[in-house]
Amino acid sequence: MALKSAIRKVRSNPHFLFVHLPHILSFICIVAGVVWLLLLPLNDYSRQTYISENALLPGQVHAYFSGSEQHIFRGYKKELEGVLEGQTAEGQEAWNDAFTPAVSDKIQSILKATGLKVATQNYEYTSSGITHQGQNVYAIIQAPRGDATEAIVLVAAWKTVEDELNLNGVTLALTLARYFKRWSLWSKDIIFLFPPDSKAGTQAWIDAYHDMQPAFVQPLPLKSGALQGGLVIEYPFDHRFESLHILYDGVNGQLPNLDLFNTAISITGGQMGIGTNLQEMWDHDDSYEMRLQTIMRGMVKQGFGYATGPHSSFMPYHIDAITLQTKGEGWQDEMALGRTVESLCRSLNNLLEHLHQSFFFYLLMQTNRFVSIGTYLPSAMLIAGNFTIMAIALWLRTGYYPGSQQASKPTEEQVTTTTTTTEKHDDKQAPPAKADASNNIIERQLALPLTLVVSLHLLGLIPLYIFNNIPHQYYPTATYTSILANFILPLLLSATLSHTLTPHPQQYHLIKSFSLLILGLFLSTLATLNFSLSFMVGLLCAPLSFIHRINPQTTSRPLRYILSTLALALLNVLSPPVVLLAVCWYFGADVETVLTQAAFGWDVWGVWTQVVVWCVWWPAWVAGCALVGFSLFSS
Amino acid sequence: MGVDHRKAAVFGGALALRLLLSVLFPSLPDLLTGRVEVSTPVTSFKRLQEGLFLYMRNVSPYDGGVFHQAPLLLPLFSLLPNAQSHPLPTALFYSMIDLVNANALVTISDSGQAVSGRFYSALRKHIRWDGVSIAAWFLFNPFTIATCLGRSTGVFTTTGILYAFSSAVTGNSLNAMLSLGLASYLSIYPALLFIPLVLLCYDQRVQKTKVSSGTLPFALQHFAVFLTCILGLLSISTLLIGDFYTFISATYGFHLLVPDLTPNVGLWWYFFIEIFDSFREFFLGVFWLHLAAYMGGLTVRLRRQPLFVLTSLLGIFAIFKPYPSISDASLYFALLPLYRHLFPLMRYTFFAISALLYATLLGPAFYHLWIYAGSGNANFFYAITLVWSLGLSILLADTIFAALRDEWEHDNPELRGKEVRQV
Repeated sequence: MALKSAIRKVRSNPHFLFVHLPHILSFICIVAGVVWLLLLPLNDYSRQTYISENALLPGQVHAYFSGSEQHIFRGYKKELEGVLEGQTAEGQEAWNDAFTPAVSDKIQSILKATGLKVATQNYEYTSSGITHQGQNVYAIIQAPRGDATEAIVLVAAWKTVEDELNLNGVTLALTLARYFKRWSLWSKDIIFLFPPDSKAGTQAWIDAYHDMQPAFVQPLPLKSGALQGGLVIEYPFDHRFESLHILYDGVNGQLPNLDLFNTAISITGGQMGIGTNLQEMWDHDDSYEMRLQTIMRGMVKQGFGYATGPHSSFMPYHIDAITLQTKGEGWQDEMALGRTVESLCRSLNNLLEHLHQSFFFYLLMQTNRFVSIGTYLPSAMLIAGNFTIMAIALWLRTGYYPGSQQASKPTEEQVTTTTTTTEKHDDKQAPPAKADASNNIIERQLALPLTLVVSLHLLGLIPLYIFNNIPHQYYPTATYTSILANFILPLLLSATLSHTLTPHPQQYHLIKSFSLLILGLFLSTLATLNFSLSFMVGLLCAPLSFIHRINPQTTSRPLRYILSTLALALLNVLSPPVVLLAVCWYFGADVETVLTQAAFGWDVWGVWTQVVVWCVWWPAWVAGCALVGFSLFSS
Repeated sequence: MGVDHRKAAVFGGALALRLLLSVLFPSLPDLLTGRVEVSTPVTSFKRLQEGLFLYMRNVSPYDGGVFHQAPLLLPLFSLLPNAQSHPLPTALFYSMIDLVNANALVTISDSGQAVSGRFYSALRKHIRWDGVSIAAWFLFNPFTIATCLGRSTGVFTTTGILYAFSSAVTGNSLNAMLSLGLASYLSIYPALLFIPLVLLCYDQRVQKTKVSSGTLPFALQHFAVFLTCILGLLSISTLLIGDFYTFISATYGFHLLVPDLTPNVGLWWYFFIEIFDSFREFFLGVFWLHLAAYMGGLTVRLRRQPLFVLTSLLGIFAIFKPYPSISDASLYFALLPLYRHLFPLMRYTFFAISALLYATLLGPAFYHLWIYAGSGNANFFYAITLVWSLGLSILLADTIFAALRDEWEHDNPELRGKEVRQV
């Protein structure tokens, strides 16, 4: 009964229904979205990982890589060190550890001596005025029991993700190539790829493998079948290691099938007894805080969408891949890593079809716990939904509730118009205004709001172009300029519009409604593709739901100025370039490096984060600022 | 008659936009041609090229089971230079077709048939857009642009339908029948528009000449014209292809029996993938009957507004056709602004448009997840086609509600502005 009367009370109070209720609902949505995310690390909401694909049989075979293979490993390492010593300049202490033609020749000759088919590929990328060029070397073991329709890739980049010399990793891959060649049980081809770096090389190779390479990347002379999985080995130091760090994030937040990750965990931990870490969490004690921190780190990487290692380049082609990095000082040697890789290859070799059983959308919080998309998606959807709720509410408000500025005539007036129209039934052609009022809907003027919102979205293309195409030394200048431009543009926009067109109060609501509708639309679409990015942009945009033009009729001039200046200051703190600076400051990174990396991602990896920032977030932000600006200029 | 400057600007702008898009982004047309939302098995430009290749080499174009479009398109396209090496003439040709369609829309709008016909004149007929605005709405609709750049052959059916309408509203009933014949020849389903179109022609005739001869003889006469037109086109096609039965089964058989279940924005493909084969014939019949059934009901209920019946039927086709694409939706959206006077009476426009926008964005995203990323599955995309169809259905039901409400207020002036409740 009480509830019923409460609902009736709400229905009879249009001001609450149209003005306060949407704000409350939006706010609840945002809070619920954040709380939802915070609940995920709890045992009740996350799950233990498990292997779905029966064919993988992780750790069920004995790994034979040991003993005499270690001599081969040492021999190969000596040969590579010899080449490196040979290319040291006069009077220089350290090696010149660049991937020179001599190194490439050495790797090729070792692979050829093993009896593999070897090929090379040259590539050259230019991004932000910096040229990245190199030569990939790769070799193929043809499967004795296969028909060259499927293959596994083993990657050992000459330079690791941190730009260290990956000498042990490359040597191990060469040793494994020789070792695998002698086995007769492979039913898939095994490709050994030696890119000179961890950024561009793999991308050039995988693009060319699928004939999607740009003009400045050579096509591949030698190919095999469809790639079923990829493993990257990194062992950049000489001492023994303690644990393996597994990288799994792909470009644009795509993830490899969870089965591959689980197989790696199960083999390293279960079969080999090597500890595993993820997301650089070195001392994970499985507490709530640690789990949450792991999730957050995963989300940040996913949200930025950059390639975290050579494995990331495989993801857009639907090839599941991970990177194994050796970490710490312990008692595991290169043979242990070799056995792990062997066991992983044996598991992948068992696959009857492409990895598809397990999850592609997950958040990992520990090597053996995860949440799947069904559990975590609602949090981003709730945040995206808050914008849609506000947009719908504003639309209804513009149609049904004229607002407080015409406070004298909200409900009673409309009732009287209805009755008057019903009384005069003599003519068939009712006058226009009455005909509209008769349905209690106010005609909306859509042209200005629609044009403004659409053109702001198109305007986003300009910063997108600038931030991806200027030479790298200008990036800091461009950032500061854009902060200034971001400050001026909304004010300029609102000043011009309110002086030239004098928009109807209703139109301010419509501008906000359309802007938020599009924002909600894009963010909910994005949540299905890249959950983390959608969540982060959604949170940063959250204030946009609650700011609007301050009505000059109801608020006195000084108060209005103070409020709108405060709102503008808040919004400017949350503008895309300021957030970029804040993030750079937090991580201790250099703006120029970050933006060069971003432009490299756009040019080479095909990262889409910039599009979201400049064509989704920025237009909504400018529209929000302009709305606040209107309260400064309208009289 | 001087050239209308606004019209020239709109048409020139639309042409320039289309050519600019295909020149600035040379990969865009091929990308759109490959999209399932734009190209269906019966309108795909890629398949047309395959048919054309075979035709040019004197092999039956229907060999290989890829090409399912009307044979008369082949000699037409063999006149154009190869679209791979010289894409510009084809782009220009398709843009011109769009302009021709827009021109027909201007004629339809200028006739004023949408607001006042023989029996009925709308209450709010002063709220309307002029022909050029409606043409602009059509020409700058992203769906139309995508269809044009995607070179879907559905645009020729659109031309047939729009010219049938524009001839009918200007009283040229013979031309209307010929155009509808062409449209039906190209893709069979426009034949369902015959009855409302004949009624529209008849109303026009009576309005113009003030002589009311019987409806039935008039309809029969026009049916004969319609049939003759189709038969004529079919016999030319037979001359062109040689083998009558192959061509009929490869084109109309393909339209009717729906053997190709490539995903599209419609509702049929998923259903027929899931259905057991033994029930296939039955449900094929049910689906077609369902599609055809609307024609009778709407024609009877909205007898006083035949053009509105035609518009609504196009909306229904865009939802329930076996191979719908966004080109069908764009045709429906092109005719909707003729009913600008009904917009104030519509209740769910915002929700319908939001649903359509969501579907427009999520559709390609989910298709990507399913086909390219491999992390989704067919249900993802199908769910979105359901949302798309839901959005269109809401819009359709809402316009029909508004039209009925308008009629009702016209008949019962004393109840104008009162709340209505459907019982």
